[in-house]
Amino acid sequence: MEQVISNDITTEDIKRARDRSNVRTARTQGGGRSLNLLWLLIGPGILVMLGENDGPSMISYAQTGATYGVGFFIPFILLTFAMAYVVQEMTVRLGAATKRGHAELIHERFGRFWGFFSLADLMFLNFLTLVTEFIAIRAGLGFFGVPPAVAVLGGFLAVAAVTLSQRYWTWERITLGFATFNLIFVPVALMTHPSAGQIAHSCLTWAPIPGGVNATFLLLIMSNIGATVTPWMLFFQQSAVVDKGLTSADLKHGQVDTAAGAVLAATAAICTVLATATLYNHHVKASSFQGAEFAQALVPFLGTLAGKLFAVGIFEAGLVAAITISASSAYAFGEVSGGAHSLNSNLREGWPIYAVLTVAAGIAAALVLIPHAPLVFIVLIVNVIAVLAMPPAIVFLILLVNDREVMGEHASGRMSNFLGITVTVILVLAGLIYGVTTIFPQLLKV
Amino acid sequence: MKYNTSSSNDAAINESEEWVREVLDPDQLSTAKLHIGRLALTGKTMLLLWGLRVYVALMVVMSGIQIWNALHAGA
Repeated sequence: MEQVISNDITTEDIKRARDRSNVRTARTQGGGRSLNLLWLLIGPGILVMLGENDGPSMISYAQTGATYGVGFFIPFILLTFAMAYVVQEMTVRLGAATKRGHAELIHERFGRFWGFFSLADLMFLNFLTLVTEFIAIRAGLGFFGVPPAVAVLGGFLAVAAVTLSQRYWTWERITLGFATFNLIFVPVALMTHPSAGQIAHSCLTWAPIPGGVNATFLLLIMSNIGATVTPWMLFFQQSAVVDKGLTSADLKHGQVDTAAGAVLAATAAICTVLATATLYNHHVKASSFQGAEFAQALVPFLGTLAGKLFAVGIFEAGLVAAITISASSAYAFGEVSGGAHSLNSNLREGWPIYAVLTVAAGIAAALVLIPHAPLVFIVLIVNVIAVLAMPPAIVFLILLVNDREVMGEHASGRMSNFLGITVTVILVLAGLIYGVTTIFPQLLKV
Repeated sequence: MKYNTSSSNDAAINESEEWVREVLDPDQLSTAKLHIGRLALTGKTMLLLWGLRVYVALMVVMSGIQIWNALHAGA
């Protein structure tokens, strides 16, 4: 390794130093287990998991509940979040050990071609996903009679305002505040008076699967995987860990943060399934429902309040994801282009990433206002494409996390590799099944 | 405990430079990172990476077929 010495201290460094100084004080005063220290160090893990409970994901979960009720998909969702933890924990180690974002590390270790290839993959998929987040924002606020243009413009301004705080800590805490509203699906689920026995039975038996294995079942399997493990999450969490300034000493807290995020997100996801299982129980055909239609459909069975809460949840899911996903694109762009890549950068230092972030969000928001776009299909297909794009991303992750030259003692051990490779194989198989059944749909009509 | 509460201007940067260097790890400074070289890719790794790219290309085509079919059916 060659050391590049520079005397320049940027505003980004100063802001990060303030955050690290607070962490050091908390560790000194309260020890490694103090709640204050935990409070200071949580963030990227919870944000990435609740961020991935985005508009398309919540609609996928709603479709799942309305189509299959309480059954196979309850334990399946738990499994997908366990997979998400396995993957995301690796990004925490990578970020803390190397102090580099995911795109930056791919660029440095695998060269410009792979760096730009990964960046292009990410930017394309993120852009499509951003479109769907604004669809969710529009749908959620539409329930309350907010005109589409006002809803989408409001969502865009919120994304821009939070990001342009030019302070990672502020950005993180405001976004965490928004993200807590993802748990609004919990009271909606409770209003259905779910049966604990039925939930336990589904977890133990992975059943029932009404209608058996067919094209709809496979599409929902893919959508649910896509709702939990996607490429932007790798790029976002590693970059956020670096931007937050986590070091190897903070690894345990980073892992707790990620696990807490997985638990919270799984809770919200399962509660969404429980809520819309009401529609399944009442034989409501929900296959073409959009976010707001789910909210409206719940009103006759659960009341107006349930519909309102559900709509707020869809709006929140879109907003938080729009903030985190656009940050992920901006981080990756800055890392690969060699410019500033921190939300602590001021506008003068970091204008390229702020420009990428706001322009991408602005174009995505504008596209949502195009009349007669097949919105539900776009929402579902984005998750499927995300699943298909995941294997290459996760292979880079596994190669990097085994790179002892940069990871040192934090390189993956046998168990971590076993789990990581297992998740990769599952994702590749899911993609292959999807591909084969697309070409030969008759295979599912036996 | 010393906190820098100044706004982000050049004066603040100069005043707090020592403190920043003391608080942050050397490779946390935005302009003073260790430069990591390229990883020497083995033939197997290159094969794996290209295989995955081919996989992605195939899956994009399959997704395209799925989208086309769905839109066609919708029309």
